[in-house]
Amino acid sequence: MPNTISAGDTAWLLASAALVMLMTPALGFFYGGLVRRKNVLATIMHSFFILCLISVQWVLWGYTLAFGPDHGGIIGGLDWLALKGVGQDPGPYAPTVPHEAYMVFQMMFAVITPALITGAFAERKRFKAFVVFTLLWATFVYDPVAHWVWGGGWLGQLGALDFAGGTVVHITSGVSALVAALVLGRRVGFGREAMDPHDATMTVLGASLLWFGWFGFNAGSAITAGGLAANAFVVTNTAAAMAALTWMTVSWLHKGAPSVLGAAAGAVAGLVAITPASGYVDVSASILIGLGAGIFCYVAIQVTKRFKVDDALDVFGVHGVGGAWGALATGIFATVAINSGAKDGLLYGNPGQLGIQAIAVAASITYSAVMTFVILKLIDVFVGLRVPESEEVLGLDASQHREAAYQI
Amino acid sequence: MEILAFVSFAVLVVAWLVAPSRGNVIVVSRTSEDRKAA
Repeated sequence: MPNTISAGDTAWLLASAALVMLMTPALGFFYGGLVRRKNVLATIMHSFFILCLISVQWVLWGYTLAFGPDHGGIIGGLDWLALKGVGQDPGPYAPTVPHEAYMVFQMMFAVITPALITGAFAERKRFKAFVVFTLLWATFVYDPVAHWVWGGGWLGQLGALDFAGGTVVHITSGVSALVAALVLGRRVGFGREAMDPHDATMTVLGASLLWFGWFGFNAGSAITAGGLAANAFVVTNTAAAMAALTWMTVSWLHKGAPSVLGAAAGAVAGLVAITPASGYVDVSASILIGLGAGIFCYVAIQVTKRFKVDDALDVFGVHGVGGAWGALATGIFATVAINSGAKDGLLYGNPGQLGIQAIAVAASITYSAVMTFVILKLIDVFVGLRVPESEEVLGLDASQHREAAYQI
Repeated sequence: MEILAFVSFAVLVVAWLVAPSRGNVIVVSRTSEDRKAA
């Protein structure tokens, strides 16, 4: 293959991969601040461990399942097992960067997606069960859905637009989080005793680092260092800001005070919602997408709480609902004026795109819900999902890791 | 669509103006002097 590598594109993609890598430990701090102090280490460990686990899984078989040569629109072949054939020359997905650079950028998406789910089963899941679940979920949920959308699979062939992972990352993780919360059941004392965040400052710091890393997530998904990346960067920042302002305002009107944690959660909801749209919409659309994210995700969490579902850190409300809204909004606001290689949405005379987006949303919801349920039930039989009640009361830091976060 | 963007931001600004300026205040900690006095 002739050498067509662009130094600028390669530098941007590698820098973006590093930005996205930072998001997973940032998520650990975002979640870590929200749990009680007896569970903070265990919660941070979920994200840190996944960074290690999926980094190895991805190079061994994850990448080839997701991006290997297509088999029936369902799954990638094993041609690139252990990255055989994935080298310094460009691959089929990005003609101006080394195939290895594209692979490692995608690796960081595969890493953070199962980490998002951990917020739903925080403070009660057995570590061994978490390890097995993560490995199975990455292999049987993330890798196939990534192939469907980005690896030449059936949703991509259908014309579904997902610039940086609204369906692949956020709907799959958000819906799986809801299933996990229902299968595991509520924490001991849920609804009877306070389970307040032990360190809100840690959570705001985590949200800020997530926001920072998200520039790599979305603008990096342009793959090239050019105008499309710049637009994705701008709309990402705008939607995050608008959603944070909206969430804070709604909570202010609803509960009487402008919540700091609400602003942080709102920013994340906006980042989630703009993710699938970031390569297809303009700034005005990003303001409306952020507005919708702040309202819909806030309402979804209130409904979840009303039904007494113990999605401990509101993963479904933020990622499931935010991802679905973003995917549908892409079908409304997308315009070829931003991305000539894409399609117009509903507002630009192509209502069919909204239908395609709805199919992508429904397919990713259904598949991830069913597979997550099956995986969790199997693990419950062979390993056991929850720690015993006495260990849950003691806290996972002590019972699972024999360590304590704070010696003060 | 630009008009909708401006309107939505304006709605937020108005909401901040009409939102309650102070909620119910609950004392959650006291100084050592407060505790001695009590």
